[in-house]
Amino acid sequence: MATSTGIYHRNYAAELRLRHTKAEKARLALMAVLLLSLPYILNVYWLGIVNTILIAVVGAVGLNILVGYTGQISLGQGGFLAVGAYTSGILATRSGLPVPLAILAAVLVTAGVGAFFGLPALRLKGLYLAIATLASQEIILFVVRRWTWLTEGKGYVEVHRLELFGWRVDRTMFEVQWYWILLVVAALAVYAARNLFRTSLGRSFMAVRDQDIAAEAIGVNLTRAKVTAFAVSSGFVGLAGALLAHYTETVTWERFTLDVSVLYLAMIIVGGLGRVAGSVYGAAFMMLLPAVLTEVAQRLSTVAPFLVEQLPAVKNATFGLAIIAFLLIEPRGLDRIWTRIKDYVRCWPFRY
Amino acid sequence: MSTFVALLVYGLADGAILAVAALGFVLIYKATRVINFAQGEFLLVGAYTFYTAFVLLRLPLVLAAVVGVLFATVLGVLVERFVLRPLIGESAISVIMVTIGLSTVLRAAVQLFFGTAVREQPDILPTGSIELGGVTVPLNRLLVVLIAGAVLAGFALFYSRSRHGVAMRAVADDQQAALTMGISVARVFALAWVLAAVSALVAGVLLADLAAVEQNIAAFGLIVFPVVILGGLDSIPGTVAGGLTIGLLKQFVSGYADPGLAEVVPYLVLVGILMVRPYGLFGETRIERV
Amino acid sequence: MNHPTRTRTTLIGLSAVTALTLAGCGGAATQGGGGGGGATGGPIKIGVLADLTGATGDVGTPYNEGMLAYIDWINAKGGISGRKIEADSNDYAYKVPTAEELYKKYVSSGAVAIQGWGTGDSEALRTKVAQDKLPFMSASYAEVLTDPKASPYNFVVAPTYSDQMRVALNWIAKDAGGPAEVAVFHNDSPFGTAPIGDGQKWLTEKKLGLTMSAYPMPKTPNFVGLLSQAKAKNAKYVVIQNVSSPAAQVAKDIKAQNLPMKIVCLNWCADELFIKTAGADNAEGHVLVQPFAPASANKPGNKDIEDYLKGKGSSLEAKGLHFGQGWWTMAIMAKGIEKAIKDGGNLTGESIRKGLETMDKVDTGGVVGTGEVKFSETSHRGSSGSSIYQVKGGKMVEIAANQVP
Repeated sequence: MATSTGIYHRNYAAELRLRHTKAEKARLALMAVLLLSLPYILNVYWLGIVNTILIAVVGAVGLNILVGYTGQISLGQGGFLAVGAYTSGILATRSGLPVPLAILAAVLVTAGVGAFFGLPALRLKGLYLAIATLASQEIILFVVRRWTWLTEGKGYVEVHRLELFGWRVDRTMFEVQWYWILLVVAALAVYAARNLFRTSLGRSFMAVRDQDIAAEAIGVNLTRAKVTAFAVSSGFVGLAGALLAHYTETVTWERFTLDVSVLYLAMIIVGGLGRVAGSVYGAAFMMLLPAVLTEVAQRLSTVAPFLVEQLPAVKNATFGLAIIAFLLIEPRGLDRIWTRIKDYVRCWPFRY
Repeated sequence: MSTFVALLVYGLADGAILAVAALGFVLIYKATRVINFAQGEFLLVGAYTFYTAFVLLRLPLVLAAVVGVLFATVLGVLVERFVLRPLIGESAISVIMVTIGLSTVLRAAVQLFFGTAVREQPDILPTGSIELGGVTVPLNRLLVVLIAGAVLAGFALFYSRSRHGVAMRAVADDQQAALTMGISVARVFALAWVLAAVSALVAGVLLADLAAVEQNIAAFGLIVFPVVILGGLDSIPGTVAGGLTIGLLKQFVSGYADPGLAEVVPYLVLVGILMVRPYGLFGETRIERV
Repeated sequence: MNHPTRTRTTLIGLSAVTALTLAGCGGAATQGGGGGGGATGGPIKIGVLADLTGATGDVGTPYNEGMLAYIDWINAKGGISGRKIEADSNDYAYKVPTAEELYKKYVSSGAVAIQGWGTGDSEALRTKVAQDKLPFMSASYAEVLTDPKASPYNFVVAPTYSDQMRVALNWIAKDAGGPAEVAVFHNDSPFGTAPIGDGQKWLTEKKLGLTMSAYPMPKTPNFVGLLSQAKAKNAKYVVIQNVSSPAAQVAKDIKAQNLPMKIVCLNWCADELFIKTAGADNAEGHVLVQPFAPASANKPGNKDIEDYLKGKGSSLEAKGLHFGQGWWTMAIMAKGIEKAIKDGGNLTGESIRKGLETMDKVDTGGVVGTGEVKFSETSHRGSSGSSIYQVKGGKMVEIAANQVP
């Protein structure tokens, strides 16, 4: 129960609940209303951008599990996205597996690959781990580019339009139908991640992040925790990759370069490390930034024509500046900013 | 035999440039414990600054070099003061991300001012070739090795003999003790970044002279990682050894095996070294205190 | 002790904010196609994807300029059958996700045809344009795009990379006059590997007596290893399937090491940029296979372009042959649109496709391929011939015209 002096619980079940106060539940309801009404408000272009945000949310949540909650720095996102995308794409098109099974297989395969590349984490920490994952990114990308069996020599994998038990995604309602699918998947992913950190496995991840030697002393099996963290995180990322393959209907290596890994890291840094909601905010922010910039540049094209002419460079510069600005001003990200706003409103007119 | 010698010379030239680029990286790490993901972009900015001075402003070579060094100095000071200093004490991931953000901003800035077209620059190093034991060897590659060697040697002297060099070594060893001895740690940090920017300038200009002034120069920066891991993140002789090894390895793989493999071989070496000797061939083993 | 007033106030505040926001961005309700760009009258909307600042920006910029220049030129003459072309051209910097977003924007704003650019976006959008029924032309000359069964809405105006490779191999066989080894340096990507398989097949089919080895080119311009491998196999010819800048570097390396190798560039490095970047001395003597005639070939088809550019204070020589490439690619699409309008009915992507397939051959005045471009229901390959030039005195000099494989 929420009181003016704080939130108190009378039993463990109440403590574990995801939403404690009426205000939190109300905000959740409002958010649900907003999400349900989006397809009716936005046009096709913006709905498409929202769809890419939803896929990015799944990936960002996965990365946050690894980097934010377990403290293992990873630059290998792009590679794991590629593994998920290629697995799902190839299984769905070539072996005739029904799409949900192909996606499941992609999740499992990526989790396995992730666990394998997580083995260096048992020996390395911090910067060394970051560099090892950078190497894994480049190696996976090289394999993807050179292994001609993957693309049967074509250089890219073409994935058919999503088909589930005979029902096909329609051409005219493409974005809207995909929106519902992606919304459900993203919501489940977010919920699963949030749940993970109510369990002892999740807490063991956080223990590894905060004080791994002390954690080992109290009985947390470091090997199991780290490898599981890599596996779980890669599973989420593999799911995002598989969704990407089916949504964009082509799988090319250009979508999985180091820049993509950096983009996902930027999402969770800007959003807030170690908070699932942070991943959502960060994904939305980072994917909306270029789209909003394009709109602004076009509106200002008469006043400041260089914006449109140099749009890609301006987008890159803004991306870099956003990362630096957030790190300098609010290192704990959008999630912290939102928490501060909530606290301010809640405690006003008092300071705290 | 002649193939071997040709590959050797080209590999040494590339390796020498890598060593100079990696030198800056290691300097920053030793002094500040920061991993500079923007080292490649420092090379890029250095090359383009020199291009601007030498080609666009038509300054004589020496003056253009001085302008380049001045610009690199200012860049190093600004980056250290406004981007890195506020983040002292923050977690490793924050520092890594801020240098990654910096690299994106620098690359975008170069793109804004110069576009992505390849720029030509008149050759600074002579382009002729000489006969060495029956093999035609390009003169500019040999000169690159010599110049890089001179820079590295000059730096080694500075680091071991001059007052500032000793101060840097003191801060790298033990910041607290250096502070108590009256060494300005902030100045040493700034000096480390300045030297990194200047060494990147030299590497970038050499690279641009051998190849071209274009955005690909930044990609060279990624190969710095295998070099420093192989050599040891906090060892300068290690950097030289690592640079030459990686340069030669890439060249030989490209010459005798699959050229595409040459791009990924440094990363395979990186992973191998991390599994076997994480602190590199010459690095110092770190003892972790709880 | 609960504070009902506080939670209530928060609730009311948040609902108010949400309602205002929704109202603000509402009214943009599913803005579907803006009337198909005027099916029976009004401007013809075409979406243009360009790489101006990305990896291939140095050739993408003149191509895009040529395309927009043609549109400007034809609109000044009244447009196509009285209807002006309204082009929405955007820079996607060779980033495929950006190209996809732009494509969605064009579709939702009612474009009836799309002009793409590179292999990346052409591949990514191939099935989408087929399902959205929008004709798609680009500067990616991959074989798969010419087959209407595989890519029903793609049209390729120039000879494919495989066609160019066949022409190159024919010429090499003639020049070598006997068995010889050919090294193929290619971009490490699908664009680069596109002509290799077909090239090998051609060699066995036609028994040209040549042997071929392919080497992917690394991103960093260090081609010494490739050249030494080629030298070890005694290669006398180096076919390059890449853009001008790395090809120029190969030319410089060959000169520096005094290797007796002749470069045969396929269309993307067979241009003035190659000569300029390598330097006239280093480029001297190398051979360029180029389906689009440069200014120095003095073809009648380039006259309109020269006049237009003279009016703007420039020349085709200054802009480079890719300007003409963009101009003519758009001109050929315009002819298809003209036919579609003449056939009557609504102007849609489908009718334009029909127009392109059924129109008479387009006479390009010797500029594109062998000079004439023709599509049909069974082939979306506009032409298959290229001309061969050699670098003499820093210029492209034609040594063999209209070579068909």
